[in-house]
Amino acid sequence: MLFSQAFGLPVITADDATTLGKVADLTVDARDATVAAVRLSGAAGSAEALPWSAVEAVGTDAVIVHSRVVAERGQDSVPAHHRAVGSRVLTEHGVEHGMIRDIAFDPVSGRILTLYTALGEIAGARLMGLGSYAAVVRAEPTLTGAVGSP
Amino acid sequence: MNTLVLASELSGRVVVTLGGEAVAQIKDVVFDGPAGRITGFTLSGRGLLAGPLKQSLPFSRVHAVGPAAVMIVSQSLFEDRDAVVGRGEADRGRVLGAPVLTEEGTDIGTVADLVVETGTSGRVVGFEVAANDNLDPQHRRVFVPRGQSLAVSGQALVVPAQAQHFVTDDLPSFAAQVEAFLTHMRHR
Repeated sequence: MLFSQAFGLPVITADDATTLGKVADLTVDARDATVAAVRLSGAAGSAEALPWSAVEAVGTDAVIVHSRVVAERGQDSVPAHHRAVGSRVLTEHGVEHGMIRDIAFDPVSGRILTLYTALGEIAGARLMGLGSYAAVVRAEPTLTGAVGSP
Repeated sequence: MNTLVLASELSGRVVVTLGGEAVAQIKDVVFDGPAGRITGFTLSGRGLLAGPLKQSLPFSRVHAVGPAAVMIVSQSLFEDRDAVVGRGEADRGRVLGAPVLTEEGTDIGTVADLVVETGTSGRVVGFEVAANDNLDPQHRRVFVPRGQSLAVSGQALVVPAQAQHFVTDDLPSFAAQVEAFLTHMRHR
């Protein structure tokens, strides 16, 4: 699934079928290349972001969370949000690699699969960091077999 | 071989952590003349009104120098400003403008800029020289490779006589020239 497909989906509770809001953005945890939280817009309650652990399912038409209580629990564990889509990409060697246009993720595990940039695709596993200035990715292993290349 | 840049082009380049935060920008490049390496960088804050920082960045703490940014692991690696500035024997300010002499004693111009290798080496591979008649009658700015035995001080820069034969006037072809020059020196 793509981030762009998830944006705007209604977030619905499974226990009483109420709408908590719409998906405004997904917070990326760069350290393990996963989706860490869902940020909400138009949230009626207090929750502006809900941890990925509260998400039951991400479907084509809605995001289902167990209950409002579960969604609001664990707010503190949500990492700082930096917008991933639209972020500039730098390799660890300080080379610019375009901008993130979209991100493919596994809707079950939350794992980041692929970053799509104007200059090509980058495997999610190469993500090293995401800050307010840039997303940093591991340099591509060279064909000459450089030291330390995986 | 890594891409080459002029030292003056590094000034103003953003310093970014591997976590993706821009934490400073390069103010000046500090050189160790005798060793032919970058010692480190002095820093300034980011933004229009930002002034110089008290901290500096030793080159040993740099993850990589890239065309878009200087990458560091974390901001905690900055050191006291004096740690870098005091260590540089001949800073760029003293090297720039110094007369360039060949080891045979011919004055071929003055140092206009330094050519450094990007990546993780920080090696000075050559000099941009404002040429005089002895090197180039048209007084162009030319690139001269740094010899294995470099002598540099505030007064002058001495380059191997052979370096004259490896002069180019643009940076991309200079990379190839440096390779040719080093091969030539090794087989002398």
